[in-house]
Amino acid sequence: MDMTHEWYVALSKSFGLFWLLGLSVAITAYAFWPSLGGRFDKAANSILDDEDGPAQPTAGKLEGKVCR
Amino acid sequence: MLKTLLKPFARVFEFQAKTHYRMERHSMALTAGIILAAGVGGFVEIAPLFTIDETVEDVADMRVYTPLEQAGRDIYIREGCYACHSQMIRTLRDEVERYGPYSLAVESKYDHPMLWGSKRTGPDLARVGDKYSDDWQVRHLINPRDLVPQSVMPQYAFLQETPLRTDDLPGRLKALSMVGVPYTDDMIANAADDALGQARPDSDRASGVLDRYGEATAVRTFDGQSDRLTEMDALVAYLQILGNLTDVAQNTQLMTEE
Amino acid sequence: MMSNLTSTERARAMLITVAGVLIGLTMAAVGRNDPMGAHGWIVLLFCGVLFFLVAQTLYDAEPVEDRSTSYYDDPTKVGILLALFWAVVAMGMGVWVASQLAWPDLRFDAAWSSFGRIRPVHTSGVIFGFGGNALIATSYHIMQRTSRARMPDQVSPWFVLLGFNLFCVVAASGYLMGITQSKEYAEPEWYADLWLVIVWVVYFILYIRTLARRNEPHIYVANWYYLSFILVVAILHIVNNLAVPASFSGAKSYSAFAGVQDAMVQWWYGHNAVAFFLTTGFLGMLYYFLPKRAGRPIYSYRLSILSFWGIVFFYIWVGSHHLHYTALPQWVQTLGVTFSVMLLVPSWASAGNALMTLNGAWHKVRDDATLRFMMVAAVFYGLSTFEGSFMAIRPVNALSHYTDWTVGHVHSGAMGWVAMITFGSIYALTPMLWRRETMYSWKAVEWHFWLALSGTVIYIFAMWNSGITQGLMWRTYTESGTLRFSFVDTLIAMHPYYIARAFGGLLFFAGACICFWNVVMTIRRVPNHAPEADYPTIPEAMEPAVPAAE
Repeated sequence: MDMTHEWYVALSKSFGLFWLLGLSVAITAYAFWPSLGGRFDKAANSILDDEDGPAQPTAGKLEGKVCR
Repeated sequence: MLKTLLKPFARVFEFQAKTHYRMERHSMALTAGIILAAGVGGFVEIAPLFTIDETVEDVADMRVYTPLEQAGRDIYIREGCYACHSQMIRTLRDEVERYGPYSLAVESKYDHPMLWGSKRTGPDLARVGDKYSDDWQVRHLINPRDLVPQSVMPQYAFLQETPLRTDDLPGRLKALSMVGVPYTDDMIANAADDALGQARPDSDRASGVLDRYGEATAVRTFDGQSDRLTEMDALVAYLQILGNLTDVAQNTQLMTEE
Repeated sequence: MMSNLTSTERARAMLITVAGVLIGLTMAAVGRNDPMGAHGWIVLLFCGVLFFLVAQTLYDAEPVEDRSTSYYDDPTKVGILLALFWAVVAMGMGVWVASQLAWPDLRFDAAWSSFGRIRPVHTSGVIFGFGGNALIATSYHIMQRTSRARMPDQVSPWFVLLGFNLFCVVAASGYLMGITQSKEYAEPEWYADLWLVIVWVVYFILYIRTLARRNEPHIYVANWYYLSFILVVAILHIVNNLAVPASFSGAKSYSAFAGVQDAMVQWWYGHNAVAFFLTTGFLGMLYYFLPKRAGRPIYSYRLSILSFWGIVFFYIWVGSHHLHYTALPQWVQTLGVTFSVMLLVPSWASAGNALMTLNGAWHKVRDDATLRFMMVAAVFYGLSTFEGSFMAIRPVNALSHYTDWTVGHVHSGAMGWVAMITFGSIYALTPMLWRRETMYSWKAVEWHFWLALSGTVIYIFAMWNSGITQGLMWRTYTESGTLRFSFVDTLIAMHPYYIARAFGGLLFFAGACICFWNVVMTIRRVPNHAPEADYPTIPEAMEPAVPAAE
């Protein structure tokens, strides 16, 4: 294949468009996929209370511990 | 209706969405996703630009900057002149009438980096060469408000006092030749002498400049001080060559009267 | 600060600073005939001071802190203070450069103080010094909180933060000495660029390692934005700064690209620096601090995902709208316009998402200047992205390009969006980080808010006026078909606007100084307090913003 300027321009004008369309569809499907809603809600709420230090895998969440 | 129509694709979408979700659970996969989204799209569009030099006009009389002019260009960069002066005349009627024929790609093909600029606090300089005398340029750089009372340009009087460093010029030309400017070994080896010679019309070195860079090269005492080579010499030599490296723009575009 | 490092970590930190000292010494020796030598001494001094800071504590007791139960916040604290320090320096510089355009003799006749040399100190100081430090500091905070995990080690966050500041110091001092590549927003020379690559790789690894330790199934969306900021800035930085040094004993280098190609690469970088430095990172800040301060989750998490990919995907193509009507091929210009206009969709989705989050919490916005900072930031984000898409359209660009309109647009983004969201985040973060009851003075926060807002508005209006006036004057013809105004005529018309602009900048700068003072006083004077979310406790007000029982 000859990597000339024209070849690159043709590639951008064709492949670029399909890449754009494909990616848009894929991301929209992902973002609005119904069964993922719960996880997203959980994530959105997760930041509201996060000052109590790193999560403790064994003991569960610690309460009222000292942070320094 | 829509639901039935989309039914065969539902599983594809579900697979895709779940994969996507799994992907986001892993930070490296997210990394790859970002690079893919930004990179592939970017690359596909930007790749043609890396071969864009194939589309730049081929002009036989386009010459390279002399060492003195290149030193002047480096001073222009050092002082940040590009922050207020563009060097790119757009293809708009009023710009062509104010500044001259619109800029062509070929005219900046030896500009590493380009100095097209993004702001005109002062006027465009793409074709300022030979528009004013050397003396005007020197006096204007020493104090712009002596000549243009309303100017807001800074004074550059210190250039007139600062001797030009020439010992590093061969290295600079060598680096430029490595990135594609066609400097010959002869030009690189004689860079320091040529810088001096271009500002000393009476010296032996002057003829070397004409040999290497063409008979049309301006060999003058740019700063009006024949006893020493200053940064003012270099900067004025650079300003006077702007727009004069090739005549192609003047020859191909219909000239409109001022 | 150093007492939380273990003795192994202290030793490691000392080794790194010794390496820095050696690098500085080498640069000073090799570049003794060049401004690069001065940079060598600066590096030497910077690393030397750090070496002694660490060395003093080398034989101190081992830290007693239980790392499994706390986040590592020391670098975040220092980063916030550094960001504010740079804000004051760089915005002060901004007032000075603006004044030079109104009164050009305001420069003491020195070589280093000309407009061309101090302008990049202002731009880099604000973008990298203020913005960069704020991004690094908040990213440390957010990545740990959202991952519910502590950073994996205690040396690399310091290396990234202080290494980045070394880059900023080298950049700013270099401009004053005339060391510049002339590439806008990428002025530092080759050795500074190489150093930034090292810092950035460590930053990326640190971020990824923290995410890998997380105890949450999902990576919160703010992290995506920060991650895209780190990744894409790395790509942009490396490509745009490809250059060949004129010699290894001097600062000067020549770009690998020339002319039209260089123009495209520079603006591909330039506009994506806006996108991935000044937008995505700060959106990460917005998506974390705004919901948290408002006490409500983000309005639509799905929309935030959608706009994330939209921004990452569209932005990368739009740089060519800086080169309309130039020697750049027409189809590239058209592509730039198309994507610039499409970009409005994800941008407004983000701004709308932020404002909808506040819907139902407007009483908090009314009472709480911190939240108001964030709200105004979202509004300015929406406005300036609209303006940006509008200015990318070719006929509009024909008028606006090369004029102050562009400058005004940049500042509506930088002051209205970037600085406002940062100040809001700093006010939200400071009491939490230092475990203080509240900010030292809520009145000072109010003052800062109104100073910042009025300064921004004055600035933008001055630049709209001067930009559009100048653009129109340039293209005005007389009846006989000749150009009506000389260039100097337009300069006279600009003068009052340049004074107004300097005044607007002065107000904004005063606000930043108040912020710095307020944060320092909070650290020094306000009593300790167990970490609750920080809302203004206003003794004078009849009704606190949040009921005490909550």
